[in-house]
Amino acid sequence: MDRSVYITSTGAFLPGKPVPNEEMEQYIGELNDRRSRLGRFVLRQNGIKTRHYALTPDGVHLHSSADMAARAIRDALSRSEIAAERLSFLAAATTQGDLLVPGFASAVHGELGLRPMEIASFQSVCASSMMAFKSVYLQLKAGEHDCGVACAAEFSSRFFRPGFYAGREQEGEDSSALMETEFLRWTLSDGAGAWLLETRPNEGRRSLRVEWIDLCSYADRFDPCMYAGTSRNRAGERKPWSHYDSPALAAQQGAVVLKQDFDLLYRMFPVWAKHYLELVDRRRLRPGAIDHFLAHYSSHSLRGEMVKLLAKTGAMVPEARWFTNLYSQGNTGAASILLMLHQLIEERDLQPGQQVLGFIPESGRCVIAFMLLTVV
Amino acid sequence: MLPERTSPRDEDSPQAVLRGLSSIWLDFESQVHHIPIVRRVIERRIRLADYHELLLNHRAQVMNGALWIARAASNIGHEFAELRSRFIRHAATEHRDYLMLEEDYLKSGGDPAGLARHELNIGSEALSAWIFHRADQPNPFDLLGAMYIIEGLGKRVAAQWAEHVQSALRLEAQAVSFYLYHAKADEDHLGELEEALRCGILNLPRMAPRILKTARVTARLYRLQLEEIGSY
Repeated sequence: MDRSVYITSTGAFLPGKPVPNEEMEQYIGELNDRRSRLGRFVLRQNGIKTRHYALTPDGVHLHSSADMAARAIRDALSRSEIAAERLSFLAAATTQGDLLVPGFASAVHGELGLRPMEIASFQSVCASSMMAFKSVYLQLKAGEHDCGVACAAEFSSRFFRPGFYAGREQEGEDSSALMETEFLRWTLSDGAGAWLLETRPNEGRRSLRVEWIDLCSYADRFDPCMYAGTSRNRAGERKPWSHYDSPALAAQQGAVVLKQDFDLLYRMFPVWAKHYLELVDRRRLRPGAIDHFLAHYSSHSLRGEMVKLLAKTGAMVPEARWFTNLYSQGNTGAASILLMLHQLIEERDLQPGQQVLGFIPESGRCVIAFMLLTVV
Repeated sequence: MLPERTSPRDEDSPQAVLRGLSSIWLDFESQVHHIPIVRRVIERRIRLADYHELLLNHRAQVMNGALWIARAASNIGHEFAELRSRFIRHAATEHRDYLMLEEDYLKSGGDPAGLARHELNIGSEALSAWIFHRADQPNPFDLLGAMYIIEGLGKRVAAQWAEHVQSALRLEAQAVSFYLYHAKADEDHLGELEEALRCGILNLPRMAPRILKTARVTARLYRLQLEEIGSY
């Protein structure tokens, strides 16, 4: 029996007011002039105009990740046609949760306060929400549940406060070494999103039928690229933070800070392109027929060479159909794609039969995810 | 479960073949990074002896390259005379490129006696034997797939190799001229291939899948050739 699965509702939680570029440092704190200059450079590159922080300008924490995820789920439930009690499966995703132990889904369920239910925790980077989404999709498809929710929350800004860079004030590093940490500091921000899935579509509102979710790891050919919990020593070796003599020592030696390796990142673009070109044939995708392309990525960062390759191979979704929340909501990691679909539904009058393609590359250790939805 | 096809898919269209070739190439490029000698080049841990082995290995390959392209040309039928001209021009352009490699070898301090050795490494033996076999078939246009893989490496990776070899071994630019030249000879690689694919060859029976298979075999054997540098 074919059990189709539908996204019947979406929810969002973005903490506080939108923070413009010139006020960012009040929230994440000032480290030094060189880093501030790099920050302005990063902002020109990523094009982000506003974002949200779950902090006050003085660094007081207003929420936890679990609390933001629970709020996004409540928002999705409040827009749905079902009673909250029907929910029997919760999949929660994040890059770095509030606690080291136990799992993030337990924390979200606790905050949510709904009845006992099956849960699953997913910890990766931007694609973790797609792992959660696929888990809900398959649980429903397999007949284990009729209604489940996938959620993701990120509270990156707390890790960007000056205290997390303690012991690194005396840096004589070159700009490229600083860029490893500064790029993410000026790119990532906070928020949560949730999608409610059911085995039947809405009666009075539009739903999105899930056609497929495609996710693949290329960690067989990449070292960690966006990572926290380790630092490379001079010999290029990486020691996990847990192998230092003390957590304090690990932090002091920069093992806790979130970092991005740009050499590896640039090597991932062709791998993602390869995966996509194969997917076009494997999934019989018609890029020209896609109505809305949700990319956790900006079309501006595609280099000319790549655009040419995609165009010549008939794989490019016309740029006018790209949709992103990057410039107004910033990069909220795993929550980004969940928030993006929420915004698409709010802003666009989706018509039955329209196709939505989602693209979620994760630089963590090279993961790529795609999803295809049909409006019903 | 896959969704129903919404329209018949044209697997033999130039776009589909380019898509297949590009994905084979992109996969190849990322796997090449893991071959020990390439890793040493990229991480600037290469030694002069490695560079010399690399040059001699490439010389054998470049010498053979012009020969199999010429042989392929001689097996192209008269109905594809335009493409045959293109193969012949291609072979003519490249058939003396190996001299550049010899100069790089000597300029970087290679022993002149080494140039007398023309033995193929284990991987090159396999690639060479197989590719000449393909070139012997009638209308061997599947070799366009092989050229796309081999030339792609020159156009997209050679500049990086040149830079890393040069800085690791503190060589002058004249000692890495072959890699620099191939990176700069940046013709419209994809455009040319597309043009060739539009010459009617895709109407030949099973040509589209054969092009892709030849590209895949070339990519695998090319990696083998790099993996076996120094083993004869």
